[in-house]
Amino acid sequence: MAERKEIAPREETVVSARKRVRAMVPPVDVYETDDGLILLADMPGVSKDTLDLKVEDNVLYLKGTIVETPGEEVSPEYVEVRGREYFRAFTLGPEFDQDKIEATFSQGVLRLFIPKHEAEKPRKIEIKVA
Amino acid sequence: MPLNWTWEWDPFKEFERLQEELDRLFEWMSPFRPLRGEEVYPRINVGEAPDKVLVYIFAPGVDPKSVELSLEDNLLSISGERKAEEALEVEEVKPERFARRERFSGRFSRVISLPESVDPAQVEAEYRNGIIVVSIGKKEAHKAKKIEVKAA
Repeated sequence: MAERKEIAPREETVVSARKRVRAMVPPVDVYETDDGLILLADMPGVSKDTLDLKVEDNVLYLKGTIVETPGEEVSPEYVEVRGREYFRAFTLGPEFDQDKIEATFSQGVLRLFIPKHEAEKPRKIEIKVA
Repeated sequence: MPLNWTWEWDPFKEFERLQEELDRLFEWMSPFRPLRGEEVYPRINVGEAPDKVLVYIFAPGVDPKSVELSLEDNLLSISGERKAEEALEVEEVKPERFARRERFSGRFSRVISLPESVDPAQVEAEYRNGIIVVSIGKKEAHKAKKIEVKAA
Protein backbone atom coordinates (compact mmCIF):
# COMPACT_ATOMS: atom_id res chain seq x y z
CA MET A 1 0.00 0.00 0.00
CA ALA A 2 1.27 3.38 -0.87
CA GLU A 3 1.76 5.77 1.98
CA ARG A 4 -1.10 8.19 2.18
CA LYS A 5 -0.39 11.75 3.13
CA GLU A 6 -3.83 12.84 4.05
CA ILE A 7 -4.73 15.98 5.75
CA ALA A 8 -6.52 15.02 8.88
CA PRO A 9 -9.95 16.49 9.34
CA ARG A 10 -10.65 18.61 12.36
CA GLU A 11 -14.28 18.72 13.19
CA GLU A 12 -14.86 21.93 14.99
CA THR A 13 -17.87 24.04 15.48
CA VAL A 14 -17.47 27.71 15.01
CA VAL A 15 -17.19 29.83 18.09
CA SER A 16 -19.76 32.41 17.36
CA ALA A 17 -21.41 35.23 19.18
CA ARG A 18 -24.68 33.69 18.09
CA LYS A 19 -24.38 30.62 20.26
CA ARG A 20 -27.41 28.84 18.97
CA VAL A 21 -26.33 28.87 15.36
CA ARG A 22 -24.06 26.05 14.33
CA ALA A 23 -22.07 26.67 11.18
CA MET A 24 -22.67 24.41 8.22
CA VAL A 25 -19.96 21.95 7.28
CA PRO A 26 -19.15 22.19 3.59
CA PRO A 27 -18.64 18.83 1.86
CA VAL A 28 -15.14 18.44 0.44
CA ASP A 29 -13.20 16.37 -2.04
CA VAL A 30 -9.50 15.93 -1.37
CA TYR A 31 -7.41 14.67 -4.24
CA GLU A 32 -3.71 13.92 -4.22
CA THR A 33 -1.44 14.67 -7.13
CA ASP A 34 2.33 14.24 -7.38
CA ASP A 35 2.78 17.92 -6.59
CA GLY A 36 0.32 18.40 -3.78
CA LEU A 37 -3.31 18.21 -2.75
CA ILE A 38 -6.36 19.64 -4.42
CA LEU A 39 -9.19 20.46 -2.04
CA LEU A 40 -12.65 21.27 -3.36
CA ALA A 41 -15.35 22.60 -1.04
CA ASP A 42 -18.99 23.38 -1.81
CA MET A 43 -19.98 26.68 -0.24
CA PRO A 44 -23.01 27.91 -2.20
CA GLY A 45 -24.07 31.49 -1.55
CA VAL A 46 -20.61 32.66 -0.52
CA SER A 47 -18.87 35.29 -2.64
CA LYS A 48 -15.17 36.03 -2.95
CA ASP A 49 -15.59 38.90 -0.51
CA THR A 50 -17.20 36.83 2.21
CA LEU A 51 -14.83 33.91 1.92
CA ASP A 52 -12.21 33.76 4.65
CA LEU A 53 -9.25 31.41 4.31
CA LYS A 54 -6.30 31.19 6.64
CA VAL A 55 -3.60 28.89 7.92
CA GLU A 56 -2.66 29.18 11.56
CA ASP A 57 -0.54 26.73 13.55
CA ASN A 58 -0.67 24.20 10.73
CA VAL A 59 -4.44 24.35 10.62
CA LEU A 60 -6.22 25.39 7.46
CA TYR A 61 -9.47 27.22 8.15
CA LEU A 62 -12.27 27.59 5.62
CA LYS A 63 -14.92 30.11 6.52
CA GLY A 64 -17.62 31.76 4.49
CA THR A 65 -20.84 33.69 4.81
CA ILE A 66 -23.82 33.50 2.48
CA VAL A 67 -24.17 36.94 0.88
CA GLU A 68 -27.69 36.88 -0.36
CA THR A 69 -30.39 36.69 2.24
CA PRO A 70 -34.11 36.97 1.74
CA GLY A 71 -35.57 40.36 2.50
CA GLU A 72 -37.58 41.07 5.61
CA GLU A 73 -40.83 40.59 3.75
CA VAL A 74 -39.97 36.97 2.99
CA SER A 75 -41.21 34.34 5.40
CA PRO A 76 -39.82 30.80 5.27
CA GLU A 77 -42.09 28.17 3.74
CA TYR A 78 -39.76 25.22 3.44
CA VAL A 79 -36.17 24.98 4.65
CA GLU A 80 -33.25 22.69 3.92
CA VAL A 81 -30.38 25.11 4.33
CA ARG A 82 -30.20 26.77 7.68
CA GLY A 83 -27.82 29.48 8.69
CA ARG A 84 -25.46 31.65 6.78
CA GLU A 85 -22.06 30.50 7.98
CA TYR A 86 -19.81 27.74 6.71
CA PHE A 87 -16.87 26.48 8.70
CA ARG A 88 -14.38 23.66 8.43
CA ALA A 89 -10.79 23.15 9.51
CA PHE A 90 -8.05 20.74 8.44
CA THR A 91 -4.66 20.01 9.95
CA LEU A 92 -1.88 20.20 7.39
CA GLY A 93 1.04 17.79 7.50
CA PRO A 94 4.62 19.12 7.51
CA GLU A 95 5.12 17.97 3.90
CA PHE A 96 2.98 20.81 2.60
CA ASP A 97 4.16 24.30 1.78
CA GLN A 98 1.68 26.53 3.59
CA ASP A 99 3.01 29.70 2.00
CA LYS A 100 2.18 28.63 -1.51
CA ILE A 101 -1.45 27.61 -1.29
CA GLU A 102 -3.43 28.76 -4.31
CA ALA A 103 -7.16 29.42 -4.14
CA THR A 104 -9.83 30.00 -6.74
CA PHE A 105 -13.54 30.39 -6.12
CA SER A 106 -16.31 30.10 -8.65
CA GLN A 107 -20.09 29.65 -8.35
CA GLY A 108 -19.94 28.38 -4.79
CA VAL A 109 -17.04 25.97 -5.29
CA LEU A 110 -13.70 26.62 -3.63
CA ARG A 111 -10.62 25.03 -5.16
CA LEU A 112 -7.41 25.00 -3.17
CA PHE A 113 -4.08 23.70 -4.34
CA ILE A 114 -1.81 22.85 -1.45
CA PRO A 115 1.67 22.15 -2.84
CA LYS A 116 4.16 19.73 -1.33
CA HIS A 117 7.65 20.91 -0.48
CA GLU A 118 10.08 20.13 -3.28
CA ALA A 119 11.79 17.43 -1.23
CA GLU A 120 8.48 15.59 -0.75
CA LYS A 121 7.62 15.28 -4.40
CA PRO A 122 8.13 11.86 -5.88
CA ARG A 123 11.19 11.70 -8.07
CA LYS A 124 11.15 9.78 -11.24
CA ILE A 125 13.99 7.36 -11.55
CA GLU A 126 14.91 6.74 -15.06
CA ILE A 127 15.95 3.25 -15.94
CA LYS A 128 18.59 3.31 -18.54
CA VAL A 129 18.87 0.45 -20.88
CA ALA A 130 22.41 -0.77 -20.93
CA MET B 1 -44.82 31.55 14.19
CA PRO B 2 -44.06 33.93 17.03
CA LEU B 3 -43.76 37.52 16.06
CA ASN B 4 -40.36 39.01 16.44
CA TRP B 5 -40.43 42.64 17.39
CA THR B 6 -36.73 43.14 17.95
CA TRP B 7 -34.75 45.39 15.66
CA GLU B 8 -32.32 42.63 14.83
CA TRP B 9 -34.94 40.82 12.85
CA ASP B 10 -33.05 38.35 10.70
CA PRO B 11 -35.22 36.44 8.24
CA PHE B 12 -32.59 33.75 7.92
CA LYS B 13 -32.86 33.15 11.63
CA GLU B 14 -36.42 32.06 11.07
CA PHE B 15 -35.19 29.55 8.51
CA GLU B 16 -32.67 28.37 11.08
CA ARG B 17 -35.23 28.07 13.83
CA LEU B 18 -37.57 26.06 11.62
CA GLN B 19 -34.76 23.80 10.53
CA GLU B 20 -33.72 23.16 14.10
CA GLU B 21 -37.25 22.20 14.99
CA LEU B 22 -37.45 19.86 12.03
CA ASP B 23 -34.07 18.35 12.91
CA ARG B 24 -35.25 17.63 16.41
CA LEU B 25 -38.40 16.06 15.10
CA PHE B 26 -36.55 13.84 12.64
CA GLU B 27 -33.98 12.79 15.20
CA TRP B 28 -36.84 11.46 17.27
CA MET B 29 -38.79 9.89 14.49
CA SER B 30 -36.32 8.58 12.03
CA PRO B 31 -33.84 5.75 12.39
CA PHE B 32 -32.02 7.19 9.39
CA ARG B 33 -29.63 9.74 10.74
CA PRO B 34 -28.04 11.85 8.08
CA LEU B 35 -24.50 10.66 7.47
CA ARG B 36 -21.62 12.78 6.35
CA GLY B 37 -21.07 12.24 2.67
CA GLU B 38 -24.70 11.61 1.84
CA GLU B 39 -25.26 14.90 0.16
CA VAL B 40 -28.71 16.04 -0.77
CA TYR B 41 -28.16 17.90 -4.00
CA PRO B 42 -29.38 20.47 -4.62
CA ARG B 43 -30.75 21.69 -1.29
CA ILE B 44 -33.75 23.96 -1.55
CA ASN B 45 -35.23 26.79 0.53
CA VAL B 46 -38.60 28.33 -0.24
CA GLY B 47 -39.76 31.67 1.07
CA GLU B 48 -42.93 33.61 0.54
CA ALA B 49 -43.24 37.37 0.10
CA PRO B 50 -46.55 39.26 -0.23
CA ASP B 51 -46.34 39.37 -4.03
CA LYS B 52 -44.05 36.48 -4.93
CA VAL B 53 -42.59 33.13 -3.97
CA LEU B 54 -38.81 32.80 -3.86
CA VAL B 55 -37.03 29.49 -4.35
CA TYR B 56 -33.33 29.22 -3.49
CA ILE B 57 -31.72 26.20 -5.11
CA PHE B 58 -28.27 25.60 -3.64
CA ALA B 59 -26.49 24.16 -6.66
CA PRO B 60 -22.78 25.03 -6.50
CA GLY B 61 -20.60 24.30 -9.48
CA VAL B 62 -23.14 23.37 -12.12
CA ASP B 63 -23.23 24.55 -15.67
CA PRO B 64 -26.54 26.47 -15.85
CA LYS B 65 -26.95 25.18 -19.40
CA SER B 66 -27.11 21.62 -18.12
CA VAL B 67 -29.90 22.44 -15.65
CA GLU B 68 -33.52 21.98 -16.57
CA LEU B 69 -36.02 23.95 -14.58
CA SER B 70 -39.77 23.80 -15.13
CA LEU B 71 -42.92 24.89 -13.37
CA GLU B 72 -46.23 23.15 -13.91
CA ASP B 73 -49.04 24.60 -11.85
CA ASN B 74 -47.36 24.73 -8.47
CA LEU B 75 -44.83 21.95 -9.01
CA LEU B 76 -41.28 23.07 -9.60
CA SER B 77 -38.96 20.48 -11.15
CA ILE B 78 -35.23 20.74 -11.38
CA SER B 79 -32.93 18.24 -13.00
CA GLY B 80 -29.45 18.22 -14.39
CA GLU B 81 -26.01 16.86 -13.93
CA ARG B 82 -22.98 17.91 -11.98
CA LYS B 83 -19.61 16.40 -12.72
CA ALA B 84 -17.96 17.18 -9.40
CA GLU B 85 -14.48 16.09 -10.44
CA GLU B 86 -14.33 18.61 -13.28
CA ALA B 87 -13.45 21.28 -10.74
CA LEU B 88 -10.24 19.40 -9.94
CA GLU B 89 -8.91 20.57 -13.29
CA VAL B 90 -6.70 17.54 -13.72
CA GLU B 91 -6.33 15.76 -17.00
CA GLU B 92 -7.06 12.26 -15.83
CA VAL B 93 -8.96 11.65 -12.60
CA LYS B 94 -7.78 8.53 -10.80
CA PRO B 95 -10.34 7.34 -8.23
CA GLU B 96 -7.66 5.86 -5.96
CA ARG B 97 -6.13 9.30 -5.47
CA PHE B 98 -9.12 10.65 -3.57
CA ALA B 99 -8.47 10.98 0.14
CA ARG B 100 -12.00 12.28 0.65
CA ARG B 101 -14.97 12.30 -1.62
CA GLU B 102 -18.03 13.94 -0.11
CA ARG B 103 -19.25 16.29 -2.82
CA PHE B 104 -22.23 15.19 -4.86
CA SER B 105 -21.50 14.00 -8.37
CA GLY B 106 -23.83 12.73 -11.06
CA ARG B 107 -27.38 13.31 -12.22
CA PHE B 108 -29.94 14.91 -9.95
CA SER B 109 -33.66 15.44 -10.11
CA ARG B 110 -35.98 16.99 -7.58
CA VAL B 111 -39.59 18.12 -7.54
CA ILE B 112 -40.91 20.55 -4.99
CA SER B 113 -44.44 21.70 -4.38
CA LEU B 114 -44.93 25.45 -4.03
CA PRO B 115 -47.84 27.42 -2.62
CA GLU B 116 -50.83 27.24 -4.97
CA SER B 117 -50.84 30.98 -5.42
CA VAL B 118 -47.89 30.93 -7.85
CA ASP B 119 -48.42 32.08 -11.40
CA PRO B 120 -46.37 29.98 -13.85
CA ALA B 121 -46.52 32.89 -16.30
CA GLN B 122 -44.32 35.06 -14.08
CA VAL B 123 -41.07 33.19 -13.52
CA GLU B 124 -37.53 34.46 -13.43
CA ALA B 125 -34.41 32.51 -12.56
CA GLU B 126 -30.83 33.60 -12.05
CA TYR B 127 -27.65 31.78 -11.03
CA ARG B 128 -25.66 33.73 -8.46
CA ASN B 129 -22.77 32.49 -6.30
CA GLY B 130 -23.82 28.90 -6.79
CA ILE B 131 -27.47 29.49 -5.92
CA ILE B 132 -30.25 29.42 -8.50
CA VAL B 133 -32.74 32.03 -7.32
CA VAL B 134 -36.19 31.49 -8.81
CA SER B 135 -38.72 34.25 -8.35
CA ILE B 136 -42.34 33.43 -9.16
CA GLY B 137 -45.08 36.04 -9.08
CA LYS B 138 -48.38 35.31 -7.39
CA LYS B 139 -51.74 35.31 -9.10
CA GLU B 140 -53.50 38.60 -8.59
CA ALA B 141 -56.23 37.12 -6.40
CA HIS B 142 -53.66 35.70 -3.95
CA LYS B 143 -51.58 38.79 -3.40
CA ALA B 144 -51.64 40.12 0.10
CA LYS B 145 -53.56 43.35 0.24
CA LYS B 146 -52.70 46.19 2.50
CA ILE B 147 -55.59 47.51 4.50
CA GLU B 148 -55.40 51.13 5.23
CA VAL B 149 -56.69 52.37 8.51
CA LYS B 150 -58.39 55.66 8.00
CA ALA B 151 -58.52 58.23 10.67
CA ALA B 152 -62.05 59.09 11.62
